[in-house]
Amino acid sequence: MSAFDRLSTWIDEPQPVLRLALVRILAPLAILGFMSARLVHADEWIGDAGFRVPDLGGDWRQPIFIPALPSNVAWALAALMIVSGLACAAGWKTRGSGLVFAATLAFVAVSDRLAAFTVSKLSPFVMLAVALGPSGTRLGVDAWRKQRAGGKRPLKVEVAGSLRFLQLLLVTIYSASGIAKVHGDWLKEPLVLWTQLHDSYQTPFTFALASALPAWAWTLFQGLTLAFELGAPLWFVLPRTRVPALCFGLGMHAMIGLMFGPVVWFALLMMILLAATFLPDAGLAPLERLADRLEERRPAEAR
Amino acid sequence: MNASARTALKVLGAVYLAGVWLDGVGSNLPGKILPRTAEYFMQIAALFPRAEVASIDYRAQGWVCQDRRWEELDTRPYFPIDPDNKENRFERVLHFFHEHRGPSRGDGRARPEDVTLRALDAYLVGAHNDGKRDDGIPRDRMLGGTRFLSLRIPLPRPGDRLERVVRHPLEDYPEKQRAYWYHTPHAKIEAHCGYHAGEVELE
Repeated sequence: MSAFDRLSTWIDEPQPVLRLALVRILAPLAILGFMSARLVHADEWIGDAGFRVPDLGGDWRQPIFIPALPSNVAWALAALMIVSGLACAAGWKTRGSGLVFAATLAFVAVSDRLAAFTVSKLSPFVMLAVALGPSGTRLGVDAWRKQRAGGKRPLKVEVAGSLRFLQLLLVTIYSASGIAKVHGDWLKEPLVLWTQLHDSYQTPFTFALASALPAWAWTLFQGLTLAFELGAPLWFVLPRTRVPALCFGLGMHAMIGLMFGPVVWFALLMMILLAATFLPDAGLAPLERLADRLEERRPAEAR
Repeated sequence: MNASARTALKVLGAVYLAGVWLDGVGSNLPGKILPRTAEYFMQIAALFPRAEVASIDYRAQGWVCQDRRWEELDTRPYFPIDPDNKENRFERVLHFFHEHRGPSRGDGRARPEDVTLRALDAYLVGAHNDGKRDDGIPRDRMLGGTRFLSLRIPLPRPGDRLERVVRHPLEDYPEKQRAYWYHTPHAKIEAHCGYHAGEVELE
């Protein structure tokens, strides 16, 4: 069997659908949380009521120039983003709503580079994965309607290439990020993390920790973070290290969310992806039982 | 979904992941072979690779025609998204377009930085002179132009007595922490304010 065939087999291995359903329910909420500060000012963000960088004719900081939308169109797009995101989270016309949500996210990411960050660029692909996978077959309106119509319980495991994509995406991001840190200052400067604590991202929690912890603690966190990111392909592939890596990743993102103000939405999104895709089956079991109970009730409700 | 579609999705997924990884580790391969928009969406790794050397904050001042002096212009009413942190769009304009000043173009066209900062200048002057929002300069005072600067606030060392990061008025920061990046051309300020040429010293 060739390497490609082996990889293909691994991708096509049936996986618990609940994992993708969790991403479908939670990721749009985190993404909309990130977008909320922008959505309430849609006319200034992507519309013609605010500042726009002019057409720079192919400058590298402007991947594509998109003119400002008329304000009413900007508000309509904002409404479409919210409705499609919530519909996807609810599992209502999941594929369609997920694709529309992904398209609105991609549009705003290129329309306004100034308010675009990692979540802006990452989220269209997360939502594409959700829309193209079987994420709507459990715990959602589509699943409920299908079950009501046919009386069949949804499948618990299905081929879910989307789930494999999300697992690989996380490992890819961590690995590249770790190598970028090695190329940067993380091996040369023992207080890189410390230097990130003193700008407008600072929260009361950051301030309390920065005031309380000795310098060596920041160097220790820096070393652990670098080891986690650089070794991510290994930590998440080896069964013995997968759960400790998951716990470390969740802890790391929790700290990032608590310490760097607006980065909380990025941290939440990463925690959702980590937990949904790498939680061991035993950890997923209580959620499976809960989902089972919800799905058992539905035919009775329908009658 | 049929087998061909699944294979196509696998290939697209692999290209995306390879692009994310290569871009993150500093390879310029994605930029060479992919459209710029595709490359843009792959720029999601490589977070915080370098140590900060100072805390950077961007500010603006407006030239008040009647008072003939620069005063701090609070840009937050005109850039209301994330007004109190560095994800604010005003901060981002200055972040992108002051730091990366390329060489002058040889074709006679203005540099992207100049085009953008002039547009920002015109937007802020127009927004203030419309008098619809409070920006720290009285609404009945006309602006003739703006200037943009960054504050480079030194970082504390471990063990120093720390203070919460808060936004102070510009006047609280010493001149040595300020770097001026742009001001409206003098002739334009004189025209806006109705001054005679060379009537006032703007610096």
